[in-house]
Amino acid sequence: MATRPAGVYDVTYQQDIAVVRTLPQWISLFIFLCFLAVFPILFPNRYLLNLVNTILIFIISAYGLNILTGYAGQISVGHAAFMGVGAYACATFMTSLRLSFWISLPLSGITAGLVGILFGFPSLRLKGFYLAMTTIAAQFIITSFFLHFYKPEVLGGVKFLSGVTLKPIQLGTITFNTQENLYYLIMPCTVIMTFFARNLVRSRLGRAFVAIRDNDLAAEIMGISLFHYKLKAFFIGCFFAGISGAIYIAFMRIIRPDQYTLMDSIWILGILIIGGLGSHLGPIFGVIFVKLLDEVALLFAPALGKMLPAALSSRIGASMGLVIFGFIVVLFLILEPRGIAHRWEILKGRFRHWPFTYG
Amino acid sequence: MTYFLHFLLSGLYIGTIYSIIALGMVIIYKSTKVFNFAQGHLLMVGVLLTATIGSKFGVIGGLVIGFLGTAFLGFLLERLTLRPLIGQPLIAALLMTIAIGYLLEGGAIMAWGEGLYKYIELFPAKAVLLGKFPVRQEILWAFIVVIVSFSLFGLFYRKTLLGKAMRATAEDHQVSQSLGIRVARIFSISWVVSGMMAFIASVFLGNLSGGHYLNYALGLKAIPAVLVGGLDSIVGAIIGGLIVGVIESLVTGYLTAELGEVIPFIVLLLVLLVKPHGLFGLVRIERV
Repeated sequence: MATRPAGVYDVTYQQDIAVVRTLPQWISLFIFLCFLAVFPILFPNRYLLNLVNTILIFIISAYGLNILTGYAGQISVGHAAFMGVGAYACATFMTSLRLSFWISLPLSGITAGLVGILFGFPSLRLKGFYLAMTTIAAQFIITSFFLHFYKPEVLGGVKFLSGVTLKPIQLGTITFNTQENLYYLIMPCTVIMTFFARNLVRSRLGRAFVAIRDNDLAAEIMGISLFHYKLKAFFIGCFFAGISGAIYIAFMRIIRPDQYTLMDSIWILGILIIGGLGSHLGPIFGVIFVKLLDEVALLFAPALGKMLPAALSSRIGASMGLVIFGFIVVLFLILEPRGIAHRWEILKGRFRHWPFTYG
Repeated sequence: MTYFLHFLLSGLYIGTIYSIIALGMVIIYKSTKVFNFAQGHLLMVGVLLTATIGSKFGVIGGLVIGFLGTAFLGFLLERLTLRPLIGQPLIAALLMTIAIGYLLEGGAIMAWGEGLYKYIELFPAKAVLLGKFPVRQEILWAFIVVIVSFSLFGLFYRKTLLGKAMRATAEDHQVSQSLGIRVARIFSISWVVSGMMAFIASVFLGNLSGGHYLNYALGLKAIPAVLVGGLDSIVGAIIGGLIVGVIESLVTGYLTAELGEVIPFIVLLLVLLVKPHGLFGLVRIERV
């Protein structure tokens, strides 16, 4: 049970599900949004902005998986593939059909969502490991499709296999080609999608998802149509992934067939575990934590390489990412399965009860 | 016709390897209700360990050390990482075995690097003639191993006390604990047995492709084999492995290699759409 600020009582249901309750919370939200808006002016560092942009893009994707796996309880081990669907769809819409990015963005989200529904159909009859493994099947089938069978040149586009470079996205006279400009493309998208995700899970839809996660048979007996809601969960989760993939295209401006692998899917799942599965701050914490960890590892890798013999140091470089990620996930699963978000709630509670230790 | 037989035989050979990997996964799932994603990684360790030790201490030394090492690794993994997760939701166990896989893969790259290691030579290169058709000896051996292990495990689960205890544990952990079965020990035993199965699969894989850290990928391909047959069925593991291996080999031979890569997963989706618990899996009636 999360603690409330002192003196805040719920009288109506509206109050009970409110996200922002008090004036100080409104003010801090406003200050945070202002901080996001002026971030590139405060820190005009290309390296930092690049990192922040990547983090923002993956937050969208992680929110999608959080809705699908964290709230609706449908484990998906193929999330990166759906990001790939969004990315390829966006690139196809822009090169073959010559649509503008602003139309392709929602369209590619919808495309990814529809593909998600297609692979969500088994979820109506499958559960647990069986379902998780069919999403792995989706991962392999989708990536192999893009690698070997997808021919956008038939539609009059260009071949993606050679690694096509797209033109920068434009809005009026603004060209999104530098990290600062891209930040202003990505940040509003992330804020909007976060807003959407946060509100979705406290709506009728979100409550139905949670009921399905906790016990799907009981949910169906209570009148929640599993058929509709499971497929909706797949659509929404994959829609987020598709949007994230499409923005990733605008960000990287290059599409390579060796992206969006099983490793990436598992990476997003691990991020959710680290951040906190089924909590609204989990994806943000998880992505920031893992990305910062990657950067720290990159920082220390050369120093580590110097200390060790040359033959070993190249091996360390190839395997360090794997080992660190695996190790962190193992630690979180054993020590704090509810993730960083749970720790954050405890910390907030401590501050509210201070100087008392109970609450 | 020879073309067809050739692909059928190589499909059956790779299928038996899948079967043995799948058997390891099924043994773990049957008693602990954990799907071991890292089975392929155990196999990779088995191949590399046997290849390197075998080149120094001879065939017997390599086999013994590889066997003991893989079994001990299985024991260690269960004790250190999966024991604390008892009672946690399913996704925790799934991600744990995936993370273990990453740790093993990273560890293998650190210890062995990215080179290809020559596997010990176990089987004579001379082919046996079946009628007029030459068959490599390791294929026959793989078949013998599959049939023997299948019948042994069938007998084991049906006749011995330990096997019955394992089946009871699969049914309900708490009930079997209160009936006097040491559930924790059952968990350890199933992981050790599964490590042994990974080693046996690694012997045939090593003969096929040598020792390399990418050997773990075979574990991913065994996933369709397990699920097509049914997660908790030993017959299913064997038949699922053979089906997947043969289909993969035939599609690779007659259509394209690219399609052959994914056809196991397409078969998996189709089978699960029709039979959600696999071909031989136990259908459970859920109660709220």
